[in-house]
Amino acid sequence: MDPFALIRGVLDTTEGAARALVGRERLRLAVTGLSRAGKTVFLTSLIANLLAAGRGARTLPALDAAVGGRIRRVTIIPAGTETIPRFDPEAHLGALAANPPHWPERTEDFSTLSIAIDVERRTSLGGLLPERRVTLDLLDYPGEWLLDLPMLRQDYAAWSAATLIRLRQGVRATAAREFLAFIDSLPADAAAEDALAKRGYALYRDALRDCRDNHGLRFLQPGRFLNPGPRGEAPLLWFFPLPATAQGGLAALCARRYGAYLDDQRSNFLDPCFTRFHRQVVLVDVLGALHAGQEAFEDTAEALAAVASVVSGGNWLERMLGAAPTRVAFAATKADHVPSRARDSLAALVEHIATGARGRAEASGAATSFHALAAIRCTEDAVATLEGQNFAAIRGILLNEGRGATIYPGEVPMKPPEPAFWQSGFFRMPEFQPPRLDPAGTAGVPHLGMDGLLAWLLGDAL
Amino acid sequence: MKPRVILEEEPVAPAQRLDFGWDIAVAAAVPPDRRWSSLGLAGVGLSVLLLGFSLIGAGNFVAAQFAQAVWLGWVTLTVAVAGFGLVFAGIGREVRGYLALGTVDTVRAAHARGDVVALRGALQDWQARLPEGRTRAQGIAEMPIDAACALVEATSLAPISRDAEALGRAAAMQAFAMTAVSPSPALDVLVFSWRGVRLVRQVAALHGLRPGVVGTLSLLRRVAMDAATVAATDVAVDAVLRGVLSSRFAEHVAGETAAGAVAARRMILLARAADEACRVLPRR
Repeated sequence: MDPFALIRGVLDTTEGAARALVGRERLRLAVTGLSRAGKTVFLTSLIANLLAAGRGARTLPALDAAVGGRIRRVTIIPAGTETIPRFDPEAHLGALAANPPHWPERTEDFSTLSIAIDVERRTSLGGLLPERRVTLDLLDYPGEWLLDLPMLRQDYAAWSAATLIRLRQGVRATAAREFLAFIDSLPADAAAEDALAKRGYALYRDALRDCRDNHGLRFLQPGRFLNPGPRGEAPLLWFFPLPATAQGGLAALCARRYGAYLDDQRSNFLDPCFTRFHRQVVLVDVLGALHAGQEAFEDTAEALAAVASVVSGGNWLERMLGAAPTRVAFAATKADHVPSRARDSLAALVEHIATGARGRAEASGAATSFHALAAIRCTEDAVATLEGQNFAAIRGILLNEGRGATIYPGEVPMKPPEPAFWQSGFFRMPEFQPPRLDPAGTAGVPHLGMDGLLAWLLGDAL
Repeated sequence: MKPRVILEEEPVAPAQRLDFGWDIAVAAAVPPDRRWSSLGLAGVGLSVLLLGFSLIGAGNFVAAQFAQAVWLGWVTLTVAVAGFGLVFAGIGREVRGYLALGTVDTVRAAHARGDVVALRGALQDWQARLPEGRTRAQGIAEMPIDAACALVEATSLAPISRDAEALGRAAAMQAFAMTAVSPSPALDVLVFSWRGVRLVRQVAALHGLRPGVVGTLSLLRRVAMDAATVAATDVAVDAVLRGVLSSRFAEHVAGETAAGAVAARRMILLARAADEACRVLPRR
């Protein structure tokens, strides 16, 4: 245990206790999710709806009921001297409300925002005492980087072995054909040549991209190979997994860069941003994984479990200091992509897909719950007539075509499907236009289930 | 059955985005209309009777005087017009002072519901009513509303709050001195009440409000509401002060000044509560 981390932990806990004493609690909410799970849209909707609720709009009825209507106002805390960029909900909302609308681009860097929620006290004399102010710290980041967290517990040899085993199976083997041929052709004592390292890196990165973009896979490491962030593709990234038989200078160079990469991610990502969470929400695009096929579905479950083992599972000291999350919510996003009657199935399915992650969270003493939500609702329920039969479907306006479309998203099983289910093949859900929105967000944004999630996640803290 | 997309027919114009009527569905609950209370109705009725019958009586009297002699009629008419003119001027001033308090609610409501256009207009109107010599935020019509609110806070509201605190301290000194030397507790209450009302009116004047009797009563009601919040924030300090200054030891040493110190503390709180009640924007 790092002694400085211990001192920092004790100081943070003391600060937390002092804040609670004077009614100025700080709540760090970890919004975790693999890439394209919808973290940025979730944060935009959460902030817009909380701000609207603070103005008296009934955008989050379940949260309002959970706190007994005691929310008085919600404000964005003015920026201080932070070095991390600021999450810009106005810009995201403006882009979604614009004509033509734009969904947020792939997140390339960190951004943070803190919002203050002023609530009346629970006691019978609450109206006479000063209001409590709960500060909610939020963080947005590239989802790909999340998969770097499990790497922190592996050395280069262990990571290489595990990665190569995965890479030689299923659709990954096809996507990584060139890369696998390259490392198989390398002599065991290959010298530490940068040209070789760069070539291996480029082939490995391309294989990861193919797995992500064309096969819907998520357990792809290292994250910065897919999303290098604002610093671009630095020489730090020029490494790739090598078999245990490789013992030459190239293997040593890759191992050195692997260690340096992890140090860099630890100091820039994990330590400043990914420690000491009080609440956690894990967003999962279950429907996307379901439509991408069996391998993508199982891969998503594996990735979630791997991430949860680091993020949710605080060690005994962190638990003692109150640094581990006490509530972890798992949410299937894009619930508006299925008709309302299938949303319960979606929530049940996320419970199954997150079994591994749930085990880790509960082992560290956190309460867990499962939800289906749409941060911004883009569709309405419809009926599709297929082969003479009526099926519950959804209707929305397609983003690029500007045409209305009725979509039958297929059956949503309540548990991991039987092998026969996967024979329906790959289906890519089209992108929808967001509904008509007020760019100022005065009334928040239409959503499905955000209030239930927030009520469970934050209700007891407000 | 496999998932599938069924495209609608190619529209002539791009399809309209979905509209869930969200802003209407989630609109804040409208507070019920405030109705006149029975006492209010009776009061207004009594005023109308008094004023109306006085006018009719005065008219009859003026007519009777004209019947006796024209010059006598003119003199009576002049006296009646002057007298009723002053009465109506007084009523007009009361009404203006009372309505001015409403502008505070207008700006606050526009701020609370995020109505940018109304808020900008209301802020400009409010700035126009500020007393001479008070600095005003320039160019708030052109800048984003967040920046405009921040500028109004920094340029006008923060200095007003500082001035209100200074007034509160001055009143505190007077209250301390007066309660310490006053011969009876009953006189304490009178002095404290008079100074308190004067302080509230002084603070209101800083915010460009010049309440009359009715306006002052309304303002005092608001202050009483805000005072609960303001006082609560200082409850710890107040408790310590009471504890120390009201103890046997302090009574022995300081005698009646202990009670005076508590009274002075209340004046400072009152100034802050009055400032809160008159603020057009919530304290940031």
